[in-house]
Amino acid sequence: MTGRKLTWPLAFVLFGALIVSLFPVFWIVMTAIKPPTDWNASPAIWIPSHPTLINFKTLFDPDSIRAYGVGGVSQAATNSVFGSLLASVVGTALSVAIGLFAAIGISRYANGGKATPLIILSGRMFPPAAIAVPFVIIYSNVGLIDTYRGLIAIYVAGTLPFSTWMLKSFVDDLPREIEEAAMIDGRSRLMAHVFVTIPLIRGGLLATTLFVFILNWSEFMFALVLSYSNVTTIPVQLARYVTATAGTLYGVQAALAVLAMIPLVLAGLLIQSHLARGMTFGAVKR
Amino acid sequence: MTFPKLEIVNLRKLFGNESFVALDGVDFAVEAGETVALLGPSGCGKSTTLNIIVGLEQPTSGDIRIDGRSVIGIPPGKRNVGLVFQDYAVFTHMTVFENLAFGLIIRGRAKAEIARAVHDVAELLGMQNSLKLSAAELGGSELQRVAIGRTLVTKPAILLLDEPLSNLEASARIAMRRELRRLQSEIGLTIIYVTHDQVEALCLADRIAVMNAGKLQQIERTSVICKKPDHVFVAGFMGSPPMNLLRGEIIGDGTSAGFRRDGLIIRLPSSEAFATNYVGQPIILGLRPESLTLAAANEATICGKVAVVEPRGPEAVVTVEAGTVSLKAVVPTAERPQEGADIGLLADPSSFVFFSGETGRRLAS
Repeated sequence: MTGRKLTWPLAFVLFGALIVSLFPVFWIVMTAIKPPTDWNASPAIWIPSHPTLINFKTLFDPDSIRAYGVGGVSQAATNSVFGSLLASVVGTALSVAIGLFAAIGISRYANGGKATPLIILSGRMFPPAAIAVPFVIIYSNVGLIDTYRGLIAIYVAGTLPFSTWMLKSFVDDLPREIEEAAMIDGRSRLMAHVFVTIPLIRGGLLATTLFVFILNWSEFMFALVLSYSNVTTIPVQLARYVTATAGTLYGVQAALAVLAMIPLVLAGLLIQSHLARGMTFGAVKR
Repeated sequence: MTFPKLEIVNLRKLFGNESFVALDGVDFAVEAGETVALLGPSGCGKSTTLNIIVGLEQPTSGDIRIDGRSVIGIPPGKRNVGLVFQDYAVFTHMTVFENLAFGLIIRGRAKAEIARAVHDVAELLGMQNSLKLSAAELGGSELQRVAIGRTLVTKPAILLLDEPLSNLEASARIAMRRELRRLQSEIGLTIIYVTHDQVEALCLADRIAVMNAGKLQQIERTSVICKKPDHVFVAGFMGSPPMNLLRGEIIGDGTSAGFRRDGLIIRLPSSEAFATNYVGQPIILGLRPESLTLAAANEATICGKVAVVEPRGPEAVVTVEAGTVSLKAVVPTAERPQEGADIGLLADPSSFVFFSGETGRRLAS
């Protein structure tokens, strides 16, 4: 960062941007601690006078909200948290691992010819809604519907173009000589990548991992159409709190949303020093 | 200690479905302890030659021999050849010490031995105090020193340098050049040095190899190559300014001979070969700018008008227009003529070099 002065107009713009980006977070957190009477009050209640944890309790004990005279969802959110964690973590790990090797292969050895990167990207050229129904049919026929395997597979396939292209840009920016130098010093081709390429793009690797994780963690449509009762994720569960049969459990929905934010905020904080550089998409200092 | 000798035997390298010829029959040998500079324009195959010697690329045909033994098929780490890259290729995620120790750690040397070797190299390069720094904190010339040190620490039999100084600023480049000279004499390595900077080549090399379009044009002792180029390409490439090349023909009557280009006629030293063999043939006459001196009009070989005068410290480069010919001469700055003045140039016939107008090869005289 260059030492640019914080002038009044700049401060004003930054403050405005801060309000726009933080207000939804503020509202969700406030709603999560409001009792049912305050959820939908008019005029709006900004900060509840009687904060409560009943919404969080309802997530894991669905009937507890009935004490407030509102209808409930019969299913606890526990399954969805487990489902989201499993599908996102495994899906992200596989996607980044495959993407890393694909990126090195494309960038260093032009494996598969010039068209490979475009072919990998082509999967993202369809609107997901257009391929959702065919996937339901395919998954039903091969027995992958309503399974974690099936969900993980679609998450890996869906995010692989991102992980490959992002990582490719980082590998492209790394001078090839640095791996050749390691080879001249006695490393094999593969080990030169393991001990030199990968450590040198670790900022980009972390940024890519977080980005792919966010995509998977917030994915809604495929989780909805490819699952029935066995498999569920947080975004699907969120939708269940506001339906014709369950009523409008805004507070409970907000509580689950707050829980869903926590891993992302934590991950962001932990790796933010790497992110600042990684998110500039491959600007390695030469 | 005996150093190995390196032989490059009829090296050919084709790229891209064999459509691009990067190297076309390159063939030369480097004696133990000798420094050879590879010179040539961009894309002439200098770097490809180094990559094949070190083993990063495989030749399409031909052989690389170290100590008389072929090393084709031996991986780069096992050839005992070091390569220093133009872009440093220092591992910025490691400290200076870790960088210098890298090759020895891979070779599985004992800790104490590594520490001693790294210390020795650091002392040689004047970097004892920087060992604990992260390589990311270093500046250009320090990075290049780490890159050279990392190669030297493994005690390679042959050291290849690929434009090692061209990313440095002028003052650092001169300092590093001096340092390389010192290393050269202290360690006595066999070195192949790729550069596009002729001063660097003249300063560091015992012999200079000039390449063009994948072919080795000439390999010759540094002191000779500027005066006796084998080919018009070498003549037009070496030196600053390079040799004046005049295209014309030989005229002669059987006893005396001359060179004619439009209205310009230069009398040649009497030689039977010229008077008989080359008469009427297209020819290129090479005149070194340093061999042209200012002269009075009645003594001059060539008369013309001064177009440009470029003083360069003690010497000035004078561009003279004579009819359709433009010549450069190097004269002492104190004696430089005015721009636009009429002057005469005296050429020393013993320095004349002749090339065939058809093949570009130097003709025996």
